[in-house]
Amino acid sequence: MAQTETLEGISLTVSDVSGQKVYRVPKAPPEATVGELVQGLLSQMSLPAHDPNGQPLAYQARLEREGRHLNAAERVGDALETGDKLMLQPNIDAG
Amino acid sequence: MLVNDYRFGLLFFRKDGSALGSAPVTVDLDPAAESTRFEHARRGDVPPSGEGAASIEPIWDASQGAPYVTGFRVAYLSGGRKVTSDFPSSYFGEAASQTSAEFVKRGKLAAGDEYLFQAVAFAGNGNGKTGGGMDLEVVEETALPVVESRLGDFERRSSPAGLVDADDMPAFIPQRVLDEAAALTRGAEGRETGGILIGRLHRDAALPEIFAEVTAQIPAEHTRGTSARLTFTPETWSAASAAVRLRNQSEIYLGYWHSHPVREWCRSRECTPEKQKTCRLAKDFFSEDDAAVMRAAFPRAHSLGLVVNDTAFAGPSFSLFGWRGGRIHPRGFFLLEEPHAE
Repeated sequence: MAQTETLEGISLTVSDVSGQKVYRVPKAPPEATVGELVQGLLSQMSLPAHDPNGQPLAYQARLEREGRHLNAAERVGDALETGDKLMLQPNIDAG
Repeated sequence: MLVNDYRFGLLFFRKDGSALGSAPVTVDLDPAAESTRFEHARRGDVPPSGEGAASIEPIWDASQGAPYVTGFRVAYLSGGRKVTSDFPSSYFGEAASQTSAEFVKRGKLAAGDEYLFQAVAFAGNGNGKTGGGMDLEVVEETALPVVESRLGDFERRSSPAGLVDADDMPAFIPQRVLDEAAALTRGAEGRETGGILIGRLHRDAALPEIFAEVTAQIPAEHTRGTSARLTFTPETWSAASAAVRLRNQSEIYLGYWHSHPVREWCRSRECTPEKQKTCRLAKDFFSEDDAAVMRAAFPRAHSLGLVVNDTAFAGPSFSLFGWRGGRIHPRGFFLLEEPHAE
């Protein structure tokens, strides 16, 4: 478990792919999974959750500190530390 | 952050005025809020990188009153200054089109039949921003670097390509970038390919105006391309970010480009040469999927989407798209001359 985890949550910075929509998350819940966090962030960051056919869009969270994509099943409190930066990256089709 | 305390709906009518039905609609209002912020930033009313809050108000129909609306107003508050932009009911056109398809399915409307719609609004939480069931607080921190420059310095060494609308943010693209995209398109041999457009946003405070200069394209790696589809994967975005960092030239993402292998589409459909020349897919075609990439990856109002049209009857041609009034439209640009290397 990350040592900087607190009862109140983990402070993060999250951006979209362009890096031009940047959001501060003061208290990311440590008990949530990364997948739950990403789903919660999509709505708050006004990022589309579905493709034009109504199918869910898959996003991965890239953790800048480690240069890797987080697994959706990882626990926020285990994978993230206060001050971490995440980028939400969609798997998306142009036609 | 956008606050919307209204739910919108549409009433549908046949061309003769008889009622077809009604339905609630979920309309993506964030592009309208972003358009409001950016258009006022272009005019110097609000700072380009200011953190602000936007809210939605219906514009009630003057003769019928509530709940009938002729559009909606976005109010944007930044640095103690409030600015507004109005959006007409046509903003609901796409939602109306999708909903009207249901009437076609039910046999109440024939495919291709004209219909009329009236937008309505009701008080109630229209945001739908629930945090995915998670009590998640987020604070927006806008990060948009802008370089102070003179627009005239760019205009003097450029020429218009396509119809340049004076209402659009000026966009400058060097021939080199178009040539690289065309070469990659030819090399993909009938499969879609693409890349990320990077460059700088400039502000001419004297005018005032904000404009975009594309400086390079980064070929999209780790994509999956077919003749009809190009998948940008999370690895694509990571590789592009790494390339921008490696270039270390203070560049930002300005949009993306991808190819339409029209010659391959025509071959598989056995289109005649004459039909190919008038095909609506051969030029200025931006699919729903193409627009979805813009919305998910390039939602800022200055973002550009470039299509390389690879046809059998002519060399590669280019179609540029951009945000205007919260929606994506074809647009022109300026072809930027670059100094020749010795």
